[in-house]
Amino acid sequence: MFSPELIPIITILVAIYIVVVALSYWGVHRIKRGIYAKDSEMKRRLYELAILKEISDRTGYSLNIQKILDVIVGSLNQFLEYSAVSYMLLEPSKVVFKADIEKSVSTQFIKDVRTRMLGSLSALLGRDLSSAVVEETITGAIMIDALEEPVRSYFNIPLVIGDQLVGVLTVSHTKAGLYKESEMEILYKIVNQASQAVGKLEEVVKTEQGKIAAMLESMLEGVVMTDKDYHVIAANPASKIVIGYKGEAVPTIFNFMDAFKGVLDIRGKLEEAIKLDKILTIDEVFFGGKYYQVVVSPVKSNVGVTKGEILGGVVIFHDVTHEKEAEKMRSDFTSMMVHELRSPLGNIKKIGEMMRSSKVLEDKQASSEYVSMLYESSSSMLDLVNDLLDVAKLESGKFSIEKSSVDIKEILSERVKFFETSARDAGINMSLLVAEGVPNSVSVDAKRITQVLNNLFSNALIYTLKGGTVTAICFLHKKGQTISGEAQAVSAPWISDSMSGDTTILPDSVVVAVTDTGEGITPENIEKLFNKFTQFASSARDSEHKGTGLGLVIVKGIVEAHDGVVRVGSKLKSGSTFYFTIPL
Amino acid sequence: MTKKILIIDDDKIFSKILRDGLVAGGNGKYEVVTAFDGEEGFEVAMKEKPDLIMLDMMMPKVTGIEFLRKYRKEESGKNTPVIVETQLSDLEKMSEGVELGVRGYIIKSDYSLDTILRQVEDILK
Repeated sequence: MFSPELIPIITILVAIYIVVVALSYWGVHRIKRGIYAKDSEMKRRLYELAILKEISDRTGYSLNIQKILDVIVGSLNQFLEYSAVSYMLLEPSKVVFKADIEKSVSTQFIKDVRTRMLGSLSALLGRDLSSAVVEETITGAIMIDALEEPVRSYFNIPLVIGDQLVGVLTVSHTKAGLYKESEMEILYKIVNQASQAVGKLEEVVKTEQGKIAAMLESMLEGVVMTDKDYHVIAANPASKIVIGYKGEAVPTIFNFMDAFKGVLDIRGKLEEAIKLDKILTIDEVFFGGKYYQVVVSPVKSNVGVTKGEILGGVVIFHDVTHEKEAEKMRSDFTSMMVHELRSPLGNIKKIGEMMRSSKVLEDKQASSEYVSMLYESSSSMLDLVNDLLDVAKLESGKFSIEKSSVDIKEILSERVKFFETSARDAGINMSLLVAEGVPNSVSVDAKRITQVLNNLFSNALIYTLKGGTVTAICFLHKKGQTISGEAQAVSAPWISDSMSGDTTILPDSVVVAVTDTGEGITPENIEKLFNKFTQFASSARDSEHKGTGLGLVIVKGIVEAHDGVVRVGSKLKSGSTFYFTIPL
Repeated sequence: MTKKILIIDDDKIFSKILRDGLVAGGNGKYEVVTAFDGEEGFEVAMKEKPDLIMLDMMMPKVTGIEFLRKYRKEESGKNTPVIVETQLSDLEKMSEGVELGVRGYIIKSDYSLDTILRQVEDILK
């Protein structure tokens, strides 16, 4: 066997072995315990995360803090023990109090919770809420007064959104010693997460609202938005103008209803649009001297869990007065044109009838009268047809000019001579003023320029009274000079145009003008002079100053085809100057 | 007994043809007076108290309808028959004319003088 001196060594070895084994056991156990702890911590964290996620999913895009709180309250029992969970929310006119009872408690218990919550809200706000209206909702287990257990544990978390306190969330229990600050981390997290989400969303909504508001402000259409209860949420400046609302505040639905009374039932249309979920378009609402196309549409949520839900309605007022006027002008033009063509034609037919059957024309004088009527009717019709053809050519771009070198002064004096006879008959004095330096040769379409002069002269003669003067003027324009200045320099009778802008930028040109001492034209009528629709209509209605009314439209077209401009200066009761330029 | 007819029309040529046609066709039965717009027409109507008015609808200053509204308010104008002269394109605008007691209409460019004459005779019979 082994020697006795080995015994201590063996003993030591055994002891060491035992110690090692024991130590390793202990170590493994410790590690195991650590793993267990870690595992359960992990589980708890995962659980927390799951709940946070669920809450964030369920609260989603909601901006409604109450809805979010309901979700939180509904999930809280999964990881916290309580007799009741409750929240209190501040609203403008009241305080909302909602409690969910997990295990039956007494009425007094809830009353206590309520008083405490109101107290802490008051303290947090620094404002006494004891007399505030409290709207109370209690759900969950029934209250049993026989249970006399008081509130023994109580925990309060303020609800803050942005920088603003909006309420408190509370858990309470009949058991004592619960809810140590350190254990409530998860509740803080949840509440924080929710309020952050709402805060962020509010910010987004505010920016979006800002964008929408800016867009609405600048819109020409009147836009009114209402909620589901037809309260006006937004009304842009254009919509206020529509109803003539002068106040700073947002107008109410009644302002709109009253304004449109008897014309359009705004509220009824909104109701129809919202209830039927349909976009309504009402064409041609005549209101306040204007025509509107009114569109009434439901407004639906397009995000989150509320997607598709109708949030309210919008009314859009689109002013179509201009379109209506243009349309009317076009149709007036057509019917006037037809009228103007048909009248002389009808007359020609009747003259024929008279000549064939009636004894009226046996009389020589009557007969010659009828012949001149025939001539007048047919030539006025021919003039009109020619003018209409010219306008049609101008508009279709098929109007062409054939330029050749001519002496424009010669054309002018020849025209003056031509019109002198009729001027003399009307008791009007005609004169011609040609300044020095106008070249003998200018490249123009002589026939068309003659047509321009014919129009300007016959207009001047028509609108000038007996004893008046019509002057034809011709001078040279130099770039950088004003035409009215140049006219003054050659002492031409001249009525300056105040509206047609800078003449110094016009290139070197020959200026041809006709100044009359007629009745003059009002500024608004000057604007209409070159518009075929308005001019034709007013001329057809004006039997004293008969003409096709299209003359100036054609004048403008011819002059512009020569790259020149036509301008008008006029003064009521003094006369007018019409001039055109032919660039050299 | 001669009947007095007032023609209110701004188209002087048509007015003359109509006048000559009525005088010649009526063989002395008709005396015709003319006015060239609604304003003048009202003055002449008040002065002459015609038995029939031939009224153009499309006139400057005071239109046919405007003349008629004013004229019907006058004692002498209450029951005077009125024939309106119009164009086919204006027929749809005639409902107010009917309300104002228009007795007939002629389409200026389409109706022959004979047709017009018959219509006048019918009304003045």
